[in-house]
Amino acid sequence: MSRARLPMDWEVARLRVLFAAMLVAFGVIEAALWRIQVARGPAYRRDLARQSVRRVRIPGPRGRIFDARGRPLAENRPAFGLALYLEELRPRTRRATLTGEVARVIEELSAVLGLPPQTTPADLRVHIQKRLPLPFVVWRNLPDTAVARWAEMGSRLPGVDLYPEPVRAYPEGTAACHVLGYVRRAEIDVDAEEPFHYHLSEMAGAAGVEKVYDHLLRGRAGGRLVRVDAAGYRYDDLGGTEPRPGHDLRLAIDLDLQRAAEDALGEHAGALVALDPASGAVLAMASRPGFDPNAFVPSIPADEWSRLAQDPATPLLNRAAAGAYAPGSTFKPIVALAAWQAGRAQAETTHTCPGHFTIGGARFRCWDTLGHGPVDMPHAIRYSCNVYFFHIGLATGPDLIAAAARAAGLGRRTGIDLDHEAAGLVPDPAWKRRAWRDAWRDGDTCNLSIGQGPISATPLQMAVLAAAIANGGRRVTPHLLTAVRAPGEDDFAPHPAPAPEPIGWPAAALRCLAAGMRDVVMADDGTGRRMRVAGFELAGKTGTAEYGRKEEGRKRGWMIAFGPVERPRLAVAMVVEDAVSGGTTVAPRLQRFFAAALGIPTPPRRNS
Amino acid sequence: MRPDRPTAFRMLGRVDPTMLVTAAALTAGGIAFIYSAGRQSAALSVLWQKQLGWAGVAAGGMVAVVATGYRRLLAAAPALYLLSAAVLVMTLAFGVTINGARCWLNFFGVQLQPSEFAKLAAILLLARELGRTDKPAEHWGELFRAALIAGVPFGLILLQPDLGTAMVLLPVTMAMLFAAGMRLRHLAALVLLGLLLLPVAWLLLDGYQKERVRVFLDPWRDPLGSGWNKIQSELAVGSGGLWGKGWLAGTQNMLGYLPRPVAPTDFIFSVIAEETGFVGATALIALYALLLFGGLRAALRAPDRPGMLLAVGVSTLLFSHVFVNLAMTIGLLPITGLPLPLVSYGGSFLIATGVALGMLQSLHAHRPDPA
Repeated sequence: MSRARLPMDWEVARLRVLFAAMLVAFGVIEAALWRIQVARGPAYRRDLARQSVRRVRIPGPRGRIFDARGRPLAENRPAFGLALYLEELRPRTRRATLTGEVARVIEELSAVLGLPPQTTPADLRVHIQKRLPLPFVVWRNLPDTAVARWAEMGSRLPGVDLYPEPVRAYPEGTAACHVLGYVRRAEIDVDAEEPFHYHLSEMAGAAGVEKVYDHLLRGRAGGRLVRVDAAGYRYDDLGGTEPRPGHDLRLAIDLDLQRAAEDALGEHAGALVALDPASGAVLAMASRPGFDPNAFVPSIPADEWSRLAQDPATPLLNRAAAGAYAPGSTFKPIVALAAWQAGRAQAETTHTCPGHFTIGGARFRCWDTLGHGPVDMPHAIRYSCNVYFFHIGLATGPDLIAAAARAAGLGRRTGIDLDHEAAGLVPDPAWKRRAWRDAWRDGDTCNLSIGQGPISATPLQMAVLAAAIANGGRRVTPHLLTAVRAPGEDDFAPHPAPAPEPIGWPAAALRCLAAGMRDVVMADDGTGRRMRVAGFELAGKTGTAEYGRKEEGRKRGWMIAFGPVERPRLAVAMVVEDAVSGGTTVAPRLQRFFAAALGIPTPPRRNS
Repeated sequence: MRPDRPTAFRMLGRVDPTMLVTAAALTAGGIAFIYSAGRQSAALSVLWQKQLGWAGVAAGGMVAVVATGYRRLLAAAPALYLLSAAVLVMTLAFGVTINGARCWLNFFGVQLQPSEFAKLAAILLLARELGRTDKPAEHWGELFRAALIAGVPFGLILLQPDLGTAMVLLPVTMAMLFAAGMRLRHLAALVLLGLLLLPVAWLLLDGYQKERVRVFLDPWRDPLGSGWNKIQSELAVGSGGLWGKGWLAGTQNMLGYLPRPVAPTDFIFSVIAEETGFVGATALIALYALLLFGGLRAALRAPDRPGMLLAVGVSTLLFSHVFVNLAMTIGLLPITGLPLPLVSYGGSFLIATGVALGMLQSLHAHRPDPA
């Protein structure tokens, strides 16, 4: 084989030193192992056998949600349950079993409280098997009378104690329910890196602000080390880390405006959105029918959930942001702006309305079959004259109308901080070719010009449109969250809102529109005159859109509005299902809303 | 072809049976305890089968290295070194990030850790360069050359950042310099310099690394968080006692006190020590000593100086992994993510260890026959 190479003496010596050093290092390990395993092994084994440590995860309390004036919309209330501490009930004799002992105590307690137990023997078996060191909660969320009765008579029973638990509470009940959303019991992340042995129940946002800002609202979980003995019973507490509560949120919602909005809707299905036209802050967002988020706490019974989820009236749907409907005549301001920008119409542009309009063999009617006669743009808005908008719509063409609608924010989500927002639809010839494989016809343009046909918009989008007309042509991003308070802080830190963006509407066109919309409300022959509030100049635009099957003749009444005209504080969109028309059904409701809303910030006290 | 030219086949017949059996025993034992550590979780229960597959690949790597012969590897050392440096750069650029370190590269769906192979390439080049002459390496120039060769992969691995894997290059380079005959004064100066640089190194550590050192000094500062592994690992080892609780009977592991993801990998020794006790742990250490003895014997009998240095480098690499891993498990060193050769679960390192053992075996096969 290879020729022999005799290593030099110093090489041999150094290799031996190297190996010796490795052996010495192993010797050190061996010595340490001897010390740990043999010399102190019995101590370690005792530790392990008698005092094994279990880690219990304790969720941090959820942050609270306040309205713009600091009134609580969602908070935590202590609820009392009764729990059995199993280590105190462990069987004393060989004949007794833990299940037997526990069943006996539960029976006695049940008699004292006059309440049937909320748990089954199967629950108990699972608990003993999986969660032995934790108290077994037999009753949760006890009524005060039961707590009092237990304190009086039941406290002599061994191993039973009150079990306080924070519970989500919505003090205003159904108010702003779609904005707030609701919570559900959080899923346990079993594959988490941190090996917790037991988890106490935690709530997670499942809808609305509770869901969108769950990451802020949820506290940081703490942990407790519980020593258990060989049989698995709790031995003692070793302490641990405290949970941290979540962040508190302040919304733009003003509870007074919110209540006024919900009163305006009453029992009618529909929605109302009120924005601050300058910033896009959502001052009120109401949708009816609604639900009581308290019903989801601590958990919603299955039958109640299926009743809510399957109700044809869709009480869980937030019609204000997730419902997209044909806007009807409230879309006409967009058509007017599109025509103006295209150079096809101005304030003085006049068309004569004979009460009907014929194109391509189809006859379109104005809502007033007697006709409006010759009308200019402000009057066409005031009377909501369909024929006028057929003329200028056809002259402008569907692509420019669609472009103007998109510029105003229709056909895409506004970006509000809510889940399940609908985008709505702005149809144009390209869309019709794609979706219906059909050519766009003049009749489609006529439908689009009066906000009918496949076009749809959410009340929230229409409120953004109202705000843009009110604020001089800027598109706001509606938002709910205005400030956040970190745990342990005294003050809220403002939450930045996206800045409004100029749309580029001509100032003259806006002035003309605003004048026309003012007349809708303030003129005696305006379609929205029923919205008038004494002492205030308001502006609006009514709309009526058919929906459902034609023979049913169901209509949605719409209105967009803002006011006061000289210094708008509110921009509003409202839709009501099964309405007669926007002017008769919606205007009086908005009148009630504006009366309440404008009275609120400065109580009506006139210095004369 | 010269008649005495060794064929690959003949070389395979001349391997060291003791080292072969030792390595096989360690690998088999490792698989047994990976099985034990993975039983509690569905995701981990298949690891022992995967490790069996990796062991097959590693054995193939070993055979391939012996068949190739260590001399061809030394001849190719510059190319292998440059290739490995390039792959390390690629890892930094396109690697997969796991636990905050970008040290994995995707090869056709298989994730590999290039740093394990880069270390071997560095050892090959060091052996070749330090073995150019038969004279002792007594000059600073050789020291700087060695520092440069080790420094490139060291820096690239440190950038990932994988401190533990990078640090292993230090004792390896020192041992090779020592075996190459460097003056003890120079070595002492190097060690002193290293100690002086420690405070600087502290500043360069990441937050989680500093936390590991602090936890090493006081594990109860965060008993639920970062101190948990150390406390539970020591408890597992300690409760094993003299004879252990028996295979598959380690309660620490079973109850999930040892975090499940690390039990089959970096903390496999605490599972072994809990289940087989002091006796089993000692047997494991004895197997490693036997393996290292084979490695250093290969160094002593090496037919040339680069071969001798190669054996020293590879042996020191294996030793460093064993020592740091065991010391960390029983609380003598801070926690670093260094796996236990042949025993810890992990494909890249098992294959790299197979290749490394192949180099030792190739040296053994080239040993001069008694005249």
